[in-house]
Amino acid sequence: MDLSIGVWLLGLFLFMIAISMPIAIAIAMSSLTIMYFILPFDVASITAGQKIITGIDSFSLLAIPFFILAGNIMNVGGIAGRLINLAKLMVGWIPGSLLHVNIFANMMFGAVSGSAVAAAAAVGKTLGPELEKEGYDKNLATAVNVASCPAGLLIPPSNSLIVFSVVSGGTSVAALFIAGYVPGILMGLSCMVVAYFIAKKKGYKTSANEGFTTTDVLRIIWQATPSLGLIFVVIGGIIGGVFTATEGACIAVLYSFILSLCYRTLKWSHFSLICKETTMITGIMLFLIGASTIMSWAMAFTGLPTMISDWMLSISDNPIIIFILMNLILLIVGMFMDLTPAVLIFTPIFMPIAEHLGMHPIHFAMMIIFNLCIGIATPPVGTALFVGCSVSGSKIEDVIRSIMPFCAVLIVTLLFITFVPEISLFLPRFFGLIS
Amino acid sequence: MLTTFRNLLDKSILFISSFALMLLVVTVTWQVFSRYVLNDPSSWTGELARYTMVWLGLLGAGYLFGVKGHLAITLLDGYLRGKAHTALQLLINGISFAFVSLAMLKGGLALMGRTGQQLSPALQLPMSTVYSILPISAVIILIYLTLNTLDLFCKSNKK
Repeated sequence: MDLSIGVWLLGLFLFMIAISMPIAIAIAMSSLTIMYFILPFDVASITAGQKIITGIDSFSLLAIPFFILAGNIMNVGGIAGRLINLAKLMVGWIPGSLLHVNIFANMMFGAVSGSAVAAAAAVGKTLGPELEKEGYDKNLATAVNVASCPAGLLIPPSNSLIVFSVVSGGTSVAALFIAGYVPGILMGLSCMVVAYFIAKKKGYKTSANEGFTTTDVLRIIWQATPSLGLIFVVIGGIIGGVFTATEGACIAVLYSFILSLCYRTLKWSHFSLICKETTMITGIMLFLIGASTIMSWAMAFTGLPTMISDWMLSISDNPIIIFILMNLILLIVGMFMDLTPAVLIFTPIFMPIAEHLGMHPIHFAMMIIFNLCIGIATPPVGTALFVGCSVSGSKIEDVIRSIMPFCAVLIVTLLFITFVPEISLFLPRFFGLIS
Repeated sequence: MLTTFRNLLDKSILFISSFALMLLVVTVTWQVFSRYVLNDPSSWTGELARYTMVWLGLLGAGYLFGVKGHLAITLLDGYLRGKAHTALQLLINGISFAFVSLAMLKGGLALMGRTGQQLSPALQLPMSTVYSILPISAVIILIYLTLNTLDLFCKSNKK
């Protein structure tokens, strides 16, 4: 094995990322280039093409377009408003109530729609005017919205966990899903703790659920139940082994479709938009997965993963230091790169090291995804940050200062998740999904 | 003229992918239905769904080149102005062009040639048909890259 080829692969990849190439092409083209050094020209071209197809030709991955489709159908149904009302009922009594409502609604909306960005946009847009009317600091409110929106990426159903399952070589989706609850909820709770102390200091009142009558309460629960019922039906079915994740996702599509017909919110004109959005997100994710398949094939040739693992283990063989180092690398990567490509690139590199040091794959999944979730909310490149700011009309520079305490607490939570395996493994063990 | 052509291509891709999405939902629904209600799990649904998704994914990937929707770290792209920006765009398009024509068009066509005789296990579909999406989406991407590059020059001329 020639290590210098591995360095070439890494160098080419970083160069193409730096010049703003689409990440998928950067992954694929850097791999193809070094394949031309190793293989005959024709063989390399064919192999690269074939890897794209074999990478995405998987029944498990089919859950991704389905969950995206279901999320998009739910989205046009005005689900954000119903979930916000429920959130007001549940957490409106805490000082700084609207901030907590925002966080809680993000957790529910993110879980149902499977998208942090969609949550930040929908919840931020709906709550924005209210936050302003009640005199909340706009930058603080935006920071709260941005920092808490990735929680839905851990709370199932979650496309990130499906991507992890496929790239890690078939980790059980059911076990990943049930494991995602605790870290996902911890992410929301961490944000709520910070919001609580800031709200206390700023003297925000608790007003959001003043004057709810019993009828109001019943009405709010009645309106939100069908939307959240999706989670119970789909996750219950997947974890109970009634259907596979992909079939569950398909049932989620039917469920949300029937629900929006009942609410009469879905119009024919929405149809093409829903299909377009779903096609686009599916295209982004599948093309990235196909490209990463070429890269993992090329990496195996160059011995790059072994090189990185040797380097890390040469620094120390103390698991604590290695895991902190891993998290530092991932935090830096997450600042620049979106979650899906980072999971696709770093799972094959870091997971063998983690397993070598005795970390369970499910535990590793929670660590890497929680870590990269923080990156979605941080500058210089953070999709949730960009969307959150554009929805609220705040400047990114102003929000960055407000978001710092949230990131700090989230990193502390990340350390707990990294070093306390039970946080991730308790639920899947309890349900007998892992030994 | 070019804009009309681009719109037509956009619409055709989205039309086909909407159809693919519906086919996916119907196929997998049928899979669940046949297993639980008919107690006769069908053998071909998984295969059909997988191939349809491959097509959907690559068509979607093609469409994204048209709207520049692929994920990228665009710090440098946002920083550069004027001629430097045009040059960077040219470089990005050039590298994308190279990958797509080498791996997806050339490699895809060669792959089709090699797998013409192979049939898929359940549907008995020639595998070359499944793989044909590689050159198809390659051509779509190449068209979009060319259009984007042409736009680049039209815009700089107008300025």
